[in-house]
Amino acid sequence: MLHFSKQTIYTEHMSIIRDIAGIAKGMSVTFREMFAPTVVENYPDGPGPMKGAVFQERFRGLHVLQRDENGLEKCVACFLCAAACPSNCIYIEAAENTEENRISGAERYAEVYNIDYNRCIFCGYCVEACPTDAITHGHGFELATFNASNLVYRKEQLLAPIKPMRTEAPVESTSQLKEPAQDHP
Amino acid sequence: MAEPKSITITVDGKSLSAPAGTLLIEACKAVGIEVPSFCYYPGLSLQAACRMCLVRIEKMPKLQTACTVQITDGMVVTSDSDEVRQARKSMIELLLGNHPLDCPVCDAGGECELQDMTFKYGAAESRYMEGKLHKEEQQWSPVVYFDRPRCILCYRCVRACGEGMDVWALGVQNRGSSSVIAPNQGDHLECEECGMCIDICPVGALTSGAYRYKTRPWEMKHVGTICTHCGDGCKTTLGMRRSDTGMDIVRGDNRDKSGINGDFLCIKGRYAFDYFDHKDRLRHPLIRRNGQLTQATWEEALEHVGKRLKEIRDTQGGQAIGVIGSNRTTNEENYLLQKFARTVLGTNNIDHHRTTDFAGFARAITGKQNATATMRDVATASSILLIGNDPTEQHPLLAWNIRSNVRLNRAKLFIVNSRPIKLRRQAAAFLQVPEGRESKFVAFLNGDDTAAGSLTSPAVSNDSLKQVRDQLRGAQDPIIIFGSELRGADIAALVKFGSGVRAMFICLGDYANSRGAADMGLYPDLFPGYVAADGPHNFNEEWGKVPQVKGMDIAGMMQAAKDRKLAALYVVGSNPVTDYSFDPAALQNAFVVVQELFLTETALLAEVVFPAASAYEKAGTFTNTCGDIQLLKKAGEISSVRSDFEIIVRVADRMGADTKKLVPFGKGVHADMGQSRGAQSGEADRHAVWLTANNLDPRLSPFDPMAILDEIQRLVPGYEFSRLNLIAGNDEHVTAAEHSNAGAGNGLVQIVPANDSLFTSGTLGRYSHTLNSVIENRRSTESKEVMAD
Repeated sequence: MLHFSKQTIYTEHMSIIRDIAGIAKGMSVTFREMFAPTVVENYPDGPGPMKGAVFQERFRGLHVLQRDENGLEKCVACFLCAAACPSNCIYIEAAENTEENRISGAERYAEVYNIDYNRCIFCGYCVEACPTDAITHGHGFELATFNASNLVYRKEQLLAPIKPMRTEAPVESTSQLKEPAQDHP
Repeated sequence: MAEPKSITITVDGKSLSAPAGTLLIEACKAVGIEVPSFCYYPGLSLQAACRMCLVRIEKMPKLQTACTVQITDGMVVTSDSDEVRQARKSMIELLLGNHPLDCPVCDAGGECELQDMTFKYGAAESRYMEGKLHKEEQQWSPVVYFDRPRCILCYRCVRACGEGMDVWALGVQNRGSSSVIAPNQGDHLECEECGMCIDICPVGALTSGAYRYKTRPWEMKHVGTICTHCGDGCKTTLGMRRSDTGMDIVRGDNRDKSGINGDFLCIKGRYAFDYFDHKDRLRHPLIRRNGQLTQATWEEALEHVGKRLKEIRDTQGGQAIGVIGSNRTTNEENYLLQKFARTVLGTNNIDHHRTTDFAGFARAITGKQNATATMRDVATASSILLIGNDPTEQHPLLAWNIRSNVRLNRAKLFIVNSRPIKLRRQAAAFLQVPEGRESKFVAFLNGDDTAAGSLTSPAVSNDSLKQVRDQLRGAQDPIIIFGSELRGADIAALVKFGSGVRAMFICLGDYANSRGAADMGLYPDLFPGYVAADGPHNFNEEWGKVPQVKGMDIAGMMQAAKDRKLAALYVVGSNPVTDYSFDPAALQNAFVVVQELFLTETALLAEVVFPAASAYEKAGTFTNTCGDIQLLKKAGEISSVRSDFEIIVRVADRMGADTKKLVPFGKGVHADMGQSRGAQSGEADRHAVWLTANNLDPRLSPFDPMAILDEIQRLVPGYEFSRLNLIAGNDEHVTAAEHSNAGAGNGLVQIVPANDSLFTSGTLGRYSHTLNSVIENRRSTESKEVMAD
């Protein structure tokens, strides 16, 4: 005996409609996004020095040793960053400024300032410890290398370039602009 | 003196007792209650300038300075309350009013008392709106820099320099808040350059020229070792830091005040470590090839020396070989060297640069009990007789202890000297006698009134001589200190006088371990512990066959070299060509081997030169001129040099000697510890039995100085000190001289005093940058002053 109740017909047919509606809704998102501007970063093929990479301001990348408004190094070789460093990756040798050879604003400057990126965990403690705001995190992140000894960065690689006097804002990063000098095997 | 009565007071609810007359701050410190202070310093006069030590004393209307209040019975003190803390906080706020906040660049940052106090009591945020007064930093001398704004006017430096050092080179100008610390020569200092002011400065106002801006305190590893310069044996703490070449010594100070020097260090202890990395330091063995000293490998040099020495010994006998030891190598090295000479080279021709007559001293006091004083005794003795020497220049710590004793304990100091030495300012009586007549004074002390005739002068009357003698005869346990002016029979005469008044003696020798060299038997006629070589001894039994006849001293070796009878000369850390005017021409045909740090005049004549480690680069023990033995700790390392110990063992090995006999190492490791064979067998391994009895480990390395120290302690009477105490970093007194068995002396001995000043120190001093810069600076200021006149 065949007997279809009204209820059965309704549920069978409505389910098909609901499915079509669901797919249509989903596809509407898809089609809408197809015409929206892309959010995927086009790294490394993007334009500009960042090669398409975009960062939050707070990102902790390769360190930058800042300069003061006179172009002198801000670092006074107080060793507090080295003391704060949990992975013990900062090595400093201090020297005294002289009249003829003035490197920093204070009496002392860092003659040698090395950060070993084999060990650095980018925790930012050094930046917090710095009493002169000399060490900051830049946005440099392209640290990969074939040779681990290249990961010991010297002061020359970390220092901000001397900017023209009118620049008021601190330099964000330098090492992001160019690859660090490397000896490729 | 009766013990002062004990008084009970209450501090913060705790009851404590201390002797009457104790300062409140000291009484609190004794039970662990910290009362902060800047200006108060134990042993210096009271200042009450910083007002950090304010405490509340019941029934007193205002807060009181704990550093100037003597405790009284029933005193009730509050050292820690809101009121007291607020008072201290306010004091810090005022101090910080003009104190620059340049802690990141300040050398004292991290070990600054003001910094610590600010952390503890707050006041880090200033309420002042006014700008701070800035003054440029001044250089006062090659080693002293002064940063005026940092100064908190505690006057510690002024008192340490004046009262402590008796130099009075620092003073205070102006009054009140315009006070400044000022040097004695207007814009620079003319002083002993001891650096005490720098060390004692609670902040970074006085900083050291040598350490300036080099590193930070927490970056250094601190090693407490012994100074390698004069014979006083001060403990110096070296700040070590890793560097390109290994471990660098960055600074020396006496932050560890447990040493025999307490608060004291002189310029040499503080700065003259810097010869260790001088550019002229030898870093490779040298072998003479075609008349030129050329760089060689260790292998070549050791092989060459081993082969030649063996050849000479086997063909010409040990008597054709001479050995000259050092008075700045460790006891272990000295002992090993003479053992090497006597057992491997087979000769008693061993000597060292004698700066004073320690052998004569040992002969004089042998068999006496408690006849030698320690350096610490000098700071507490009730009276002191000083004959000859100039401790201010040659034994700065001794001078410091004498001065402190006179100042703090009112000790009586009697001085007999041919020159008006500086210590006369502390003396109860100063007798200036004609040069070379010190022995006449000794005769006079012994009752020979006729000797007075040759001593009197317009300044020294017969009565004053008699007065001094009477006072000395009535003295309570005096300490008698004498320099190299007294030798042989004179020392015996002095000891004869001293025995009557239960005196203790100190014989002053130069260089860090000249006493050790003497105790360890670097003598042609004496074995370790001053045992006569031709008398009864058990060294044959212990070491195997040793030569029975007396050897040649340095003068004898020089004569033998002239007569072409000396085929080889082995020199360790000594420069006989300069110190003893050893004729260079005489050494033309001899095979000369030198172990040295630098290319000295003697090393220039050598066939082979071994680069030796300095005393900062090795471990061992030093015995100071009083007989206080202390542990030398290895601080750093310089590549491609080796300790004298290792060089001697390696040379002996190349000569085919049994190094296990030379250095008793590895005992009981391959065999038993001696127990099973026991003393009954008659073949007992005495050394192993002794090691077991003393709970000591068998040493596993032939280069372990402790292995030789075991043997020294076993065989040298008077060296039975507590090893535990020594290794803890303390000083122990050794009495080898009192236990000596030296037999009769052979009369004349050649003594050549080093006559070093505060700024010279034999070979090592010549290569110290700081000492040279101070000497250079003095010369240039002198010539400037002459030009100005």
